[in-house]
Amino acid sequence: MSTQSDGPLSRWADRSMKNPGQVYRAMFYVAAFFFIVTTLFPFYWLVVLALTPNQEILNGFAAPVPEGFNVAAFAQVFEQVPFHLYMFNSFVLATSTTIIVLLIASLAGYVFGRLEFPGRGVLMLAILAISYFPPAAFVVPLFDIFTGGSPVVVPFSELVFGSPVNLFTPPRLVNTPGAMILPFSALFLPLSIFVLTTFYGQIPDGLEDAARVEGTTRIGALFRVIIPLSAPGVATAGVLTFISVYNEYFFSQIMALGNQPQQWSPLVGGILSYQTQYTTSFNLFAAASIIGVLPVAILVVVAQERIVSGLTAGALKE
Amino acid sequence: MARVKLEHVTKRYEDVTAVDDMNLDIRDGEFVCLVGPSGCGKSTTMETIAGLTLPTEGEVYIGDREVTRLPPKDRGIAMVFQNIALFPHMNVKDNISFGLRLRKYDSEEIDRRVQRASDIVQLEGMLERMPDEMSGGQRQRVAIARAIVRNPDVFLMDEPLANLDAKLRVHMRTELQRLHKELETTIIYVTHDQAEAMTMSDRIAVIDSGELQQIDPPLVCYNEPANLFVAGFIGSPSMNFTPGRVTDGGFTSESYDIEFDPASLGLSPGDSVTLGVRPEDVYPAEQRASVSDPSMTIEARTDVIEPMGDEIFVYVVTTDEMEMDFEAAEAGQLLMSVSPDSTIDVDQDIEVVLDRSKVHLFDDETGQAICHGLSPNAQTGTTTETETEAGDDD
Repeated sequence: MSTQSDGPLSRWADRSMKNPGQVYRAMFYVAAFFFIVTTLFPFYWLVVLALTPNQEILNGFAAPVPEGFNVAAFAQVFEQVPFHLYMFNSFVLATSTTIIVLLIASLAGYVFGRLEFPGRGVLMLAILAISYFPPAAFVVPLFDIFTGGSPVVVPFSELVFGSPVNLFTPPRLVNTPGAMILPFSALFLPLSIFVLTTFYGQIPDGLEDAARVEGTTRIGALFRVIIPLSAPGVATAGVLTFISVYNEYFFSQIMALGNQPQQWSPLVGGILSYQTQYTTSFNLFAAASIIGVLPVAILVVVAQERIVSGLTAGALKE
Repeated sequence: MARVKLEHVTKRYEDVTAVDDMNLDIRDGEFVCLVGPSGCGKSTTMETIAGLTLPTEGEVYIGDREVTRLPPKDRGIAMVFQNIALFPHMNVKDNISFGLRLRKYDSEEIDRRVQRASDIVQLEGMLERMPDEMSGGQRQRVAIARAIVRNPDVFLMDEPLANLDAKLRVHMRTELQRLHKELETTIIYVTHDQAEAMTMSDRIAVIDSGELQQIDPPLVCYNEPANLFVAGFIGSPSMNFTPGRVTDGGFTSESYDIEFDPASLGLSPGDSVTLGVRPEDVYPAEQRASVSDPSMTIEARTDVIEPMGDEIFVYVVTTDEMEMDFEAAEAGQLLMSVSPDSTIDVDQDIEVVLDRSKVHLFDDETGQAICHGLSPNAQTGTTTETETEAGDDD
């Protein structure tokens, strides 16, 4: 290998061969920079759009910096539509769904993760398989049920007994949170069950036995020992569910018959209501999106440490 | 404080029987060790007492109550686990008081009891620590404190010392005995270490492949083992076994003969039996005078010598040929324990005698002991057998 210093490039190459750590560090910065730019640029562009007056956007502008500094857009968001109500709706939907999901998934995760019973593998596979069904497949029957009035009958009972056997007539749930929380809980359960099964399965049997000998029931041991020790997993499942429901639009837009906050239209419904038949306020779209993202961003920052360890620890031994 | 009784307890898993028709009667305040090789069902037995495993058949009694289907928390027991099982998210005080807090004791009572329990196991000044900040021995003491703080009727200990280093284990062994003396609570202790069982317990329950082999005080298990398994398991180094046959005049094997009257033991010539003798009951022939009932002299050759400091273990080969395969060597070999000042050397011709009053005979077919001691005046194995049976029938 030549050690001659005939140019800056060959000197650099020489140096980096002797000291590859330096190059790796440089590569890390390049890669990190790339990912940060691609991730954060859309958000930056939201800020640009929010601060640029709508007229400028409609006229077309090419600059990568805002044309003007129209902070008023952030206030206008709340003046034009009751955006805080839409946020409240999404927040309530997300919170209730998360609570329900965590509760049921904890019980299911305990059973799948810690008990031996025949058919466990098949059942777990069925849950995972169902989670891959497209949600659209459920929309029509659920909408039919939630509009109320049509009784739920035993399948094929008409053929067997001559007349349909009614089980019950569901109440009219459209335009209420019930019509959204129920399907959300069902849809997001499998992922949480899967995450929590992995975590609960890793808690040593001795700890649960100790708790039970000391005076808890099995459920008591779950809540007093297993769940606290699986905090990263619970945080992961909870945050994933919360964010998914908070961003959800497909189901809620159908189950809320109109786009009004009184009909439990969610956050995305609120954002879209800045578009009317004749006007499209791109700057308000952007401003509302930023405001809508903030609670989730805060949640993730707060729970970040736990989520990261949760996503990685699932595969490893605690 | 309570007596613990198992009646015909059987635990079957899909294809294995972990515990097979176990009958145990443990008296109030007794320290009983369940001992056996790993996988023998001793831990499963303990789990059925604790209620962590439901028996397939049979009943469990603690005190006067039948508790077979009762959840662990209602059985009045406390348990110390092999892996210690402290709750890692709680400090020492919360760990110890966990059961008390669940039972809604008021905080003064909790403080008082935690203080007392931690005094007993010498945990002063450590109540605020987290389990991962403590050494193995300290954690073990916390686990014991957690068990004693509730004043349980019965302590269950599942190999509590298995994960400690040798020195600490011996120390904790005496601590546990002291604790038992102080609390006078029934203790059931699972171990695979026969030395632990010998030193600590009032009675040893020897278990093999899910079946109770013998339950007796340690020295009875040692001196009058009920069968081949107990004889081989209790005692270290283990008993010498020589397979052979009964003849008109006693016992014969490929390597040596022992004379006794077979008729007095109900044996007839031709019966195949195994003779067992402990290393300390084999003597060099020159000590014949000090042996209470010496056998005929056996010609042998020393093979391997293991000086232990307080005694020397000498492996002597009793068959004539030195060149033989491993199995035959095993059968023709006797382990002899001699005093440390002995001058025995390797590969040396030697004459040994057995103490006939300490020789055991086992039936080859059933493995059961036929007698303990061959001299006419020595006691026979009948006492042990009746005792074991009595234990079974209780």
